[in-house]
Amino acid sequence: MLFCGQSVFAWRSYISRLQPRPAQEDDVALLKAIAARNEAALAQLYDRYRAILFGLLMRILNNREEAEDVLQEVFLQVWRKATDFDENRGRPFTWLVTLARSRGIDRLRTLAARERVAETSAREVSEDISDAATDAFKSEQRGLVTKALSQLPDEQKRPLMLAYFDGLTQSEIAARLGAPLGTVKTRMRTGLISLRELLAGQGESFGF
Amino acid sequence: MVHEDYKEMIPVRALSALDAAEERVLNEHLDNCSECRKELEEWQATTAALAVVADPVEPSPEVRERILGAVRKDLSSNVVPLRSTSRNVWSSFGSLGAIAAVVLFVALLVGLFVLWRQNRAYREELAAKNEFIQLVNTPGARVTELKGNDLGAGATAKLAHDAAGRAILMASKLPNVPAGKAYQLWFIVPNKPPVPGKTFVPDSAGNAVLKDEIAGAALDAKVFAITVEPASGVSAPTGPIYLRSSEVN
Repeated sequence: MLFCGQSVFAWRSYISRLQPRPAQEDDVALLKAIAARNEAALAQLYDRYRAILFGLLMRILNNREEAEDVLQEVFLQVWRKATDFDENRGRPFTWLVTLARSRGIDRLRTLAARERVAETSAREVSEDISDAATDAFKSEQRGLVTKALSQLPDEQKRPLMLAYFDGLTQSEIAARLGAPLGTVKTRMRTGLISLRELLAGQGESFGF
Repeated sequence: MVHEDYKEMIPVRALSALDAAEERVLNEHLDNCSECRKELEEWQATTAALAVVADPVEPSPEVRERILGAVRKDLSSNVVPLRSTSRNVWSSFGSLGAIAAVVLFVALLVGLFVLWRQNRAYREELAAKNEFIQLVNTPGARVTELKGNDLGAGATAKLAHDAAGRAILMASKLPNVPAGKAYQLWFIVPNKPPVPGKTFVPDSAGNAVLKDEIAGAALDAKVFAITVEPASGVSAPTGPIYLRSSEVN
Protein backbone atom coordinates (compact mmCIF):
# COMPACT_ATOMS: atom_id res chain seq x y z
CA MET A 1 0.00 0.00 0.00
CA LEU A 2 1.62 3.16 -1.18
CA PHE A 3 -0.27 5.38 1.18
CA CYS A 4 0.96 3.88 4.45
CA GLY A 5 2.30 6.13 7.19
CA GLN A 6 5.87 4.93 6.76
CA SER A 7 5.85 5.87 3.09
CA VAL A 8 4.50 9.29 3.82
CA PHE A 9 7.22 9.77 6.40
CA ALA A 10 9.83 8.71 3.88
CA TRP A 11 8.35 11.08 1.28
CA ARG A 12 8.50 13.96 3.70
CA SER A 13 12.06 13.04 4.41
CA TYR A 14 12.79 13.18 0.70
CA ILE A 15 11.13 16.48 0.21
CA SER A 16 12.98 18.00 3.12
CA ARG A 17 16.20 16.82 1.57
CA LEU A 18 15.32 18.09 -1.86
CA GLN A 19 16.97 21.24 -0.61
CA PRO A 20 19.89 21.16 1.81
CA ARG A 21 18.76 22.17 5.25
CA PRO A 22 21.02 25.23 5.44
CA ALA A 23 19.56 26.35 2.10
CA GLN A 24 16.01 25.92 3.41
CA GLU A 25 16.84 27.87 6.52
CA ASP A 26 18.54 30.51 4.43
CA ASP A 27 15.51 30.73 2.20
CA VAL A 28 13.18 31.17 5.14
CA ALA A 29 15.45 33.89 6.49
CA LEU A 30 15.50 35.55 3.07
CA LEU A 31 11.72 35.50 2.83
CA LYS A 32 11.44 37.01 6.28
CA ALA A 33 13.88 39.73 5.24
CA ILE A 34 11.90 40.31 2.05
CA ALA A 35 8.73 40.58 4.13
CA ALA A 36 10.60 43.30 6.03
CA ARG A 37 11.17 44.98 2.65
CA ASN A 38 14.83 44.13 2.27
CA GLU A 39 15.74 44.64 -1.38
CA ALA A 40 19.06 42.81 -1.10
CA ALA A 41 17.29 39.72 0.22
CA LEU A 42 15.05 39.66 -2.84
CA ALA A 43 18.09 39.99 -5.10
CA GLN A 44 19.72 37.07 -3.29
CA LEU A 45 16.63 34.89 -3.58
CA TYR A 46 16.36 35.79 -7.25
CA ASP A 47 19.96 34.86 -7.90
CA ARG A 48 19.43 31.56 -6.15
CA TYR A 49 16.31 30.45 -8.03
CA ARG A 50 16.16 32.43 -11.25
CA ALA A 51 17.52 29.66 -13.46
CA ILE A 52 15.30 26.93 -12.03
CA LEU A 53 12.15 29.01 -12.18
CA PHE A 54 12.97 30.47 -15.57
CA GLY A 55 13.67 26.98 -16.89
CA LEU A 56 10.27 25.90 -15.59
CA LEU A 57 8.59 28.89 -17.22
CA MET A 58 10.42 28.33 -20.49
CA ARG A 59 9.27 24.73 -20.45
CA ILE A 60 5.68 25.82 -19.88
CA LEU A 61 5.58 28.81 -22.22
CA ASN A 62 8.26 28.00 -24.77
CA ASN A 63 8.68 31.72 -25.31
CA ARG A 64 11.57 33.66 -23.82
CA GLU A 65 9.84 37.02 -23.74
CA GLU A 66 6.71 35.67 -22.09
CA ALA A 67 8.72 33.59 -19.64
CA GLU A 68 10.84 36.57 -18.61
CA ASP A 69 7.73 38.65 -18.16
CA VAL A 70 6.16 36.01 -15.93
CA LEU A 71 9.43 35.56 -14.00
CA GLN A 72 9.37 39.28 -13.27
CA GLU A 73 5.76 39.03 -12.12
CA VAL A 74 6.62 36.10 -9.86
CA PHE A 75 9.42 37.91 -8.04
CA LEU A 76 7.39 41.07 -7.72
CA GLN A 77 4.65 38.91 -6.22
CA VAL A 78 7.24 37.46 -3.85
CA TRP A 79 8.17 41.02 -2.92
CA ARG A 80 4.57 41.95 -2.23
CA LYS A 81 3.42 38.67 -0.69
CA ALA A 82 6.42 37.45 1.28
CA THR A 83 4.45 38.14 4.43
CA ASP A 84 2.01 35.42 3.32
CA PHE A 85 4.69 32.75 3.40
CA ASP A 86 4.28 30.41 6.38
CA GLU A 87 7.21 28.09 6.99
CA ASN A 88 4.92 25.75 8.92
CA ARG A 89 2.82 25.16 5.81
CA GLY A 90 5.54 24.44 3.31
CA ARG A 91 9.05 25.08 2.15
CA PRO A 92 10.23 28.17 0.31
CA PHE A 93 11.12 26.10 -2.75
CA THR A 94 7.59 24.68 -2.92
CA TRP A 95 6.10 28.12 -2.46
CA LEU A 96 8.23 29.65 -5.19
CA VAL A 97 7.64 26.84 -7.67
CA THR A 98 3.91 26.85 -6.98
CA LEU A 99 3.78 30.60 -7.57
CA ALA A 100 5.83 30.41 -10.76
CA ARG A 101 3.98 27.44 -12.22
CA SER A 102 0.60 28.90 -11.37
CA ARG A 103 1.44 32.15 -13.12
CA GLY A 104 3.05 30.34 -15.99
CA ILE A 105 -0.01 28.15 -16.54
CA ASP A 106 -2.28 31.17 -16.27
CA ARG A 107 -0.23 32.93 -18.95
CA LEU A 108 -0.20 29.81 -21.09
CA ARG A 109 -3.95 29.48 -20.90
CA THR A 110 -4.28 33.13 -21.73
CA LEU A 111 -2.09 32.79 -24.72
CA ALA A 112 -3.86 29.59 -25.72
CA ALA A 113 -0.50 28.38 -26.88
CA ARG A 114 -0.83 24.78 -25.94
CA GLU A 115 0.08 23.36 -29.28
CA ARG A 116 3.80 23.52 -28.85
CA VAL A 117 5.68 20.27 -28.45
CA ALA A 118 7.21 19.88 -25.05
CA GLU A 119 10.10 17.81 -26.32
CA THR A 120 11.06 20.58 -28.73
CA SER A 121 11.07 23.21 -26.03
CA ALA A 122 13.18 21.01 -23.83
CA ARG A 123 15.77 20.73 -26.60
CA GLU A 124 15.68 24.44 -27.26
CA VAL A 125 16.30 25.44 -23.69
CA SER A 126 18.72 22.78 -22.65
CA GLU A 127 21.67 24.53 -24.28
CA ASP A 128 21.43 27.52 -22.02
CA ILE A 129 22.19 26.12 -18.58
CA SER A 130 24.31 28.46 -16.53
CA ASP A 131 26.77 27.83 -13.76
CA ALA A 132 24.46 29.64 -11.39
CA ALA A 133 21.70 27.27 -12.30
CA THR A 134 23.75 24.19 -11.67
CA ASP A 135 24.98 25.68 -8.42
CA ALA A 136 21.52 26.54 -7.28
CA PHE A 137 20.10 23.16 -8.02
CA LYS A 138 22.43 20.31 -8.66
CA SER A 139 21.94 18.12 -11.66
CA GLU A 140 21.96 15.14 -9.32
CA GLN A 141 18.61 16.23 -7.99
CA ARG A 142 17.22 16.53 -11.48
CA GLY A 143 18.57 13.14 -12.22
CA LEU A 144 16.82 11.60 -9.25
CA VAL A 145 13.46 13.12 -10.12
CA THR A 146 13.90 12.13 -13.75
CA LYS A 147 14.82 8.64 -12.65
CA ALA A 148 11.70 8.41 -10.52
CA LEU A 149 9.62 9.53 -13.47
CA SER A 150 11.28 7.04 -15.75
CA GLN A 151 10.05 4.25 -13.50
CA LEU A 152 6.47 5.25 -14.08
CA PRO A 153 4.61 3.58 -16.92
CA ASP A 154 4.33 5.95 -19.86
CA GLU A 155 0.54 5.87 -19.56
CA GLN A 156 0.90 7.41 -16.09
CA LYS A 157 3.86 9.69 -16.77
CA ARG A 158 2.48 11.34 -19.90
CA PRO A 159 -0.71 12.67 -18.30
CA LEU A 160 1.35 14.07 -15.44
CA MET A 161 3.68 15.88 -17.83
CA LEU A 162 0.78 17.23 -19.86
CA ALA A 163 -0.82 18.55 -16.70
CA TYR A 164 2.34 19.97 -15.17
CA PHE A 165 4.04 21.58 -18.14
CA ASP A 166 1.16 22.10 -20.56
CA GLY A 167 -1.44 23.14 -18.01
CA LEU A 168 -4.04 20.74 -19.34
CA THR A 169 -6.96 19.63 -17.21
CA GLN A 170 -7.98 15.99 -16.91
CA SER A 171 -10.68 16.40 -19.54
CA GLU A 172 -8.26 18.06 -21.92
CA ILE A 173 -5.72 15.33 -21.34
CA ALA A 174 -8.35 12.68 -22.03
CA ALA A 175 -9.19 14.43 -25.29
CA ARG A 176 -5.54 14.82 -26.20
CA LEU A 177 -4.74 11.17 -25.54
CA GLY A 178 -8.03 9.82 -26.83
CA ALA A 179 -8.60 8.00 -23.54
CA PRO A 180 -11.73 7.82 -21.35
CA LEU A 181 -11.80 10.51 -18.67
CA GLY A 182 -12.19 7.96 -15.89
CA THR A 183 -9.11 6.12 -17.10
CA VAL A 184 -7.09 9.33 -17.18
CA LYS A 185 -8.18 10.21 -13.67
CA THR A 186 -7.11 6.83 -12.36
CA ARG A 187 -3.78 6.95 -14.17
CA MET A 188 -2.97 10.42 -12.95
CA ARG A 189 -3.78 9.67 -9.38
CA THR A 190 -1.91 6.38 -9.44
CA GLY A 191 1.03 8.03 -11.17
CA LEU A 192 1.26 10.79 -8.58
CA ILE A 193 1.11 8.36 -5.67
CA SER A 194 3.77 6.20 -7.30
CA LEU A 195 5.95 9.21 -7.94
CA ARG A 196 5.75 10.24 -4.34
CA GLU A 197 6.73 6.77 -3.21
CA LEU A 198 9.59 6.57 -5.69
CA LEU A 199 10.95 9.93 -4.62
CA ALA A 200 10.68 8.91 -1.00
CA GLY A 201 12.51 5.67 -1.76
CA GLN A 202 15.33 7.48 -3.50
CA GLY A 203 15.53 10.17 -0.90
CA GLU A 204 17.91 8.19 1.29
CA SER A 205 20.54 8.40 -1.41
CA PHE A 206 20.60 12.18 -1.50
CA GLY A 207 23.79 13.57 -0.14
CA PHE A 208 22.41 16.81 1.38
CA MET B 1 -19.71 13.75 -1.69
CA VAL B 2 -17.90 12.46 1.38
CA HIS B 3 -14.56 13.41 2.84
CA GLU B 4 -12.72 10.55 1.09
CA ASP B 5 -14.04 11.70 -2.27
CA TYR B 6 -12.42 15.07 -1.72
CA LYS B 7 -9.18 13.49 -0.61
CA GLU B 8 -8.98 11.55 -3.85
CA MET B 9 -9.14 14.78 -5.80
CA ILE B 10 -6.33 16.48 -3.90
CA PRO B 11 -3.28 15.05 -5.73
CA VAL B 12 -4.66 16.18 -9.09
CA ARG B 13 -5.63 19.50 -7.56
CA ALA B 14 -1.95 19.96 -6.69
CA LEU B 15 -1.28 19.76 -10.43
CA SER B 16 -4.08 22.27 -11.12
CA ALA B 17 -5.51 19.68 -13.47
CA LEU B 18 -9.02 19.31 -12.08
CA ASP B 19 -11.80 20.46 -14.35
CA ALA B 20 -13.33 23.76 -13.31
CA ALA B 21 -16.46 22.30 -11.70
CA GLU B 22 -14.49 19.78 -9.65
CA GLU B 23 -11.98 22.40 -8.58
CA ARG B 24 -14.76 24.69 -7.45
CA VAL B 25 -16.35 21.94 -5.36
CA LEU B 26 -13.02 20.94 -3.83
CA ASN B 27 -12.07 24.55 -3.08
CA GLU B 28 -15.30 24.97 -1.15
CA HIS B 29 -14.43 21.90 0.87
CA LEU B 30 -10.87 23.13 1.44
CA ASP B 31 -12.23 26.30 2.94
CA ASN B 32 -13.68 24.23 5.75
CA CYS B 33 -11.26 21.30 6.10
CA SER B 34 -7.84 21.91 7.59
CA GLU B 35 -6.89 18.25 7.17
CA CYS B 36 -7.40 18.43 3.41
CA ARG B 37 -5.62 21.78 3.22
CA LYS B 38 -2.63 20.21 4.92
CA GLU B 39 -2.70 17.30 2.53
CA LEU B 40 -2.87 19.62 -0.45
CA GLU B 41 0.22 21.45 0.80
CA GLU B 42 2.05 18.13 1.02
CA TRP B 43 1.03 17.15 -2.48
CA GLN B 44 2.14 20.53 -3.75
CA ALA B 45 5.58 19.76 -2.38
CA THR B 46 5.58 16.60 -4.49
CA THR B 47 4.46 18.32 -7.66
CA ALA B 48 6.97 21.13 -7.04
CA ALA B 49 9.71 18.53 -7.38
CA LEU B 50 8.66 18.09 -11.00
CA ALA B 51 9.96 21.59 -11.69
CA VAL B 52 13.50 20.26 -11.71
CA VAL B 53 12.69 18.12 -14.72
CA ALA B 54 12.83 21.29 -16.79
CA ASP B 55 16.35 22.30 -17.69
CA PRO B 56 17.50 25.38 -15.79
CA VAL B 57 17.80 28.39 -18.07
CA GLU B 58 19.45 31.72 -17.42
CA PRO B 59 17.12 34.69 -17.93
CA SER B 60 18.54 37.87 -19.43
CA PRO B 61 20.17 40.29 -16.95
CA GLU B 62 17.52 42.89 -17.78
CA VAL B 63 14.90 40.87 -15.87
CA ARG B 64 16.85 41.26 -12.64
CA GLU B 65 17.23 44.96 -13.27
CA ARG B 66 13.53 45.38 -14.00
CA ILE B 67 12.55 43.53 -10.84
CA LEU B 68 14.93 45.46 -8.61
CA GLY B 69 14.02 48.71 -10.36
CA ALA B 70 10.35 48.10 -9.58
CA VAL B 71 11.24 47.23 -5.99
CA ARG B 72 13.24 50.44 -5.55
CA LYS B 73 10.40 52.42 -7.01
CA ASP B 74 8.00 50.68 -4.63
CA LEU B 75 10.29 51.43 -1.70
CA SER B 76 10.68 55.07 -2.64
CA SER B 77 6.98 55.50 -3.27
CA ASN B 78 6.24 53.99 0.12
CA VAL B 79 8.93 55.64 2.19
CA VAL B 80 8.99 59.16 0.84
CA PRO B 81 5.26 59.55 0.60
CA LEU B 82 4.84 58.09 4.08
CA ARG B 83 6.43 61.24 5.47
CA SER B 84 5.07 63.56 2.91
CA THR B 85 1.77 61.75 2.99
CA SER B 86 1.30 62.59 6.63
CA ARG B 87 2.27 66.15 5.85
CA ASN B 88 0.29 66.16 2.68
CA VAL B 89 -2.75 64.77 4.39
CA TRP B 90 -2.78 67.56 6.88
CA SER B 91 -1.67 70.24 4.44
CA SER B 92 -4.20 68.89 1.98
CA PHE B 93 -6.83 69.10 4.62
CA GLY B 94 -5.62 72.63 5.31
CA SER B 95 -5.69 73.58 1.66
CA LEU B 96 -8.96 71.86 1.05
CA GLY B 97 -10.41 73.47 4.12
CA ALA B 98 -9.27 76.90 3.01
CA ILE B 99 -10.63 76.34 -0.48
CA ALA B 100 -13.89 75.04 0.94
CA ALA B 101 -14.15 78.04 3.25
CA VAL B 102 -13.54 80.46 0.38
CA VAL B 103 -16.04 78.64 -1.83
CA LEU B 104 -18.56 78.64 0.99
CA PHE B 105 -17.98 82.33 1.67
CA VAL B 106 -18.31 83.24 -2.01
CA ALA B 107 -21.42 81.09 -2.28
CA LEU B 108 -22.83 82.87 0.76
CA LEU B 109 -22.10 86.28 -0.75
CA VAL B 110 -23.62 85.27 -4.06
CA GLY B 111 -26.63 83.88 -2.25
CA LEU B 112 -27.05 87.08 -0.27
CA PHE B 113 -26.65 89.17 -3.41
CA VAL B 114 -29.25 87.08 -5.24
CA LEU B 115 -31.62 87.35 -2.29
CA TRP B 116 -31.00 91.09 -2.10
CA ARG B 117 -31.67 91.47 -5.81
CA GLN B 118 -34.77 89.31 -5.61
CA ASN B 119 -35.93 91.25 -2.64
CA ARG B 120 -35.30 94.52 -4.44
CA ALA B 121 -37.07 93.21 -7.55
CA TYR B 122 -40.05 92.12 -5.45
CA ARG B 123 -40.11 95.49 -3.73
CA GLU B 124 -39.90 97.30 -7.04
CA GLU B 125 -42.60 95.07 -8.51
CA LEU B 126 -44.78 95.58 -5.49
CA ALA B 127 -44.16 99.32 -5.59
CA ALA B 128 -44.98 99.39 -9.30
CA LYS B 129 -48.19 97.47 -8.71
CA ASN B 130 -49.14 99.81 -5.93
CA GLU B 131 -48.37 102.71 -8.13
CA PHE B 132 -50.35 101.10 -10.94
CA ILE B 133 -53.33 100.58 -8.60
CA GLN B 134 -53.11 104.14 -7.39
CA LEU B 135 -53.02 105.35 -10.98
CA VAL B 136 -55.97 103.20 -11.92
CA ASN B 137 -57.91 104.62 -8.96
CA THR B 138 -57.18 108.14 -10.06
CA PRO B 139 -60.39 109.82 -11.35
CA GLY B 140 -60.51 109.71 -15.15
CA ALA B 141 -57.89 107.01 -15.40
CA ARG B 142 -58.20 104.33 -18.03
CA VAL B 143 -56.75 100.86 -18.39
CA THR B 144 -56.10 99.39 -21.78
CA GLU B 145 -55.11 95.82 -22.41
CA LEU B 146 -52.55 94.84 -25.01
CA LYS B 147 -52.22 91.33 -26.39
CA GLY B 148 -49.40 89.66 -28.23
CA ASN B 149 -49.81 88.82 -31.89
CA ASP B 150 -47.95 85.99 -33.62
CA LEU B 151 -44.57 87.55 -32.78
CA GLY B 152 -45.53 88.22 -29.18
CA ALA B 153 -47.62 85.11 -28.68
CA GLY B 154 -48.71 84.69 -25.07
CA ALA B 155 -47.53 88.13 -24.02
CA THR B 156 -49.97 90.49 -22.34
CA ALA B 157 -49.75 94.02 -20.99
CA LYS B 158 -51.94 96.55 -19.22
CA LEU B 159 -51.47 100.23 -19.74
CA ALA B 160 -52.94 102.60 -17.19
CA HIS B 161 -52.92 106.32 -17.76
CA ASP B 162 -54.73 109.29 -16.42
CA ALA B 163 -55.85 112.53 -17.96
CA ALA B 164 -52.60 114.20 -16.94
CA GLY B 165 -50.65 111.82 -19.11
CA ARG B 166 -49.11 109.69 -16.33
CA ALA B 167 -48.87 106.16 -17.72
CA ILE B 168 -47.71 102.85 -16.33
CA LEU B 169 -47.31 99.77 -18.48
CA MET B 170 -47.16 96.38 -16.84
CA ALA B 171 -46.24 93.60 -19.26
CA SER B 172 -45.67 89.89 -18.80
CA LYS B 173 -44.49 86.90 -20.86
CA LEU B 174 -42.72 89.08 -23.35
CA PRO B 175 -40.29 87.29 -25.64
CA ASN B 176 -36.65 88.14 -25.10
CA VAL B 177 -35.35 90.79 -27.40
CA PRO B 178 -32.09 90.41 -29.34
CA ALA B 179 -28.99 92.17 -28.11
CA GLY B 180 -29.02 95.84 -29.01
CA LYS B 181 -32.79 95.83 -29.28
CA ALA B 182 -35.57 96.90 -26.93
CA TYR B 183 -39.32 97.07 -26.82
CA GLN B 184 -40.80 100.50 -27.49
CA LEU B 185 -44.30 101.71 -26.61
CA TRP B 186 -46.31 103.61 -29.22
CA PHE B 187 -49.35 105.80 -28.92
CA ILE B 188 -51.40 105.78 -32.06
CA VAL B 189 -53.78 108.63 -32.78
CA PRO B 190 -56.02 108.17 -35.80
CA ASN B 191 -54.72 109.89 -38.93
CA LYS B 192 -51.49 110.94 -37.22
CA PRO B 193 -48.04 109.45 -37.07
CA PRO B 194 -47.48 107.12 -34.06
CA VAL B 195 -46.17 108.97 -31.04
CA PRO B 196 -43.13 107.25 -29.54
CA GLY B 197 -43.06 106.22 -25.91
CA LYS B 198 -40.10 104.96 -23.89
CA THR B 199 -38.09 101.81 -24.58
CA PHE B 200 -37.75 98.97 -22.12
CA VAL B 201 -36.24 95.54 -21.79
CA PRO B 202 -38.09 92.82 -19.86
CA ASP B 203 -36.44 90.67 -17.23
CA SER B 204 -35.52 87.09 -17.87
CA ALA B 205 -39.09 86.00 -17.11
CA GLY B 206 -40.45 88.41 -19.70
CA ASN B 207 -41.89 90.84 -17.17
CA ALA B 208 -41.54 94.59 -17.43
CA VAL B 209 -42.85 97.71 -15.79
CA LEU B 210 -42.59 101.01 -17.62
CA LYS B 211 -43.52 104.44 -16.34
CA ASP B 212 -44.01 106.98 -19.03
CA GLU B 213 -45.47 110.38 -19.68
CA ILE B 214 -47.88 110.64 -22.51
CA ALA B 215 -47.27 113.75 -24.57
CA GLY B 216 -50.24 115.96 -25.08
CA ALA B 217 -50.52 114.98 -28.72
CA ALA B 218 -50.91 111.36 -27.71
CA LEU B 219 -53.58 111.82 -25.06
CA ASP B 220 -56.19 111.08 -27.70
CA ALA B 221 -54.52 107.78 -28.69
CA LYS B 222 -56.99 105.10 -29.64
CA VAL B 223 -54.50 102.27 -30.05
CA PHE B 224 -51.41 101.34 -28.09
CA ALA B 225 -48.74 99.13 -29.56
CA ILE B 226 -45.35 97.73 -28.70
CA THR B 227 -42.66 97.11 -31.29
CA VAL B 228 -39.06 95.94 -31.17
CA GLU B 229 -36.66 98.70 -32.04
CA PRO B 230 -33.03 99.69 -31.58
CA ALA B 231 -32.28 99.93 -27.85
CA SER B 232 -31.85 103.70 -28.03
CA GLY B 233 -35.39 104.08 -29.39
CA VAL B 234 -36.64 105.60 -32.59
CA SER B 235 -39.00 108.45 -33.40
CA ALA B 236 -40.98 106.41 -35.90
CA PRO B 237 -41.59 102.68 -35.73
CA THR B 238 -39.25 100.53 -37.83
CA GLY B 239 -39.74 97.12 -36.33
CA PRO B 240 -42.66 94.76 -36.23
CA ILE B 241 -45.51 95.05 -33.71
CA TYR B 242 -45.43 92.42 -30.94
CA LEU B 243 -48.41 93.60 -28.89
CA ARG B 244 -51.25 95.95 -29.54
CA SER B 245 -54.52 96.99 -28.05
CA SER B 246 -57.90 97.05 -29.63
CA GLU B 247 -59.09 100.46 -30.63
CA VAL B 248 -60.44 102.21 -27.59
CA ASN B 249 -63.50 104.35 -27.71
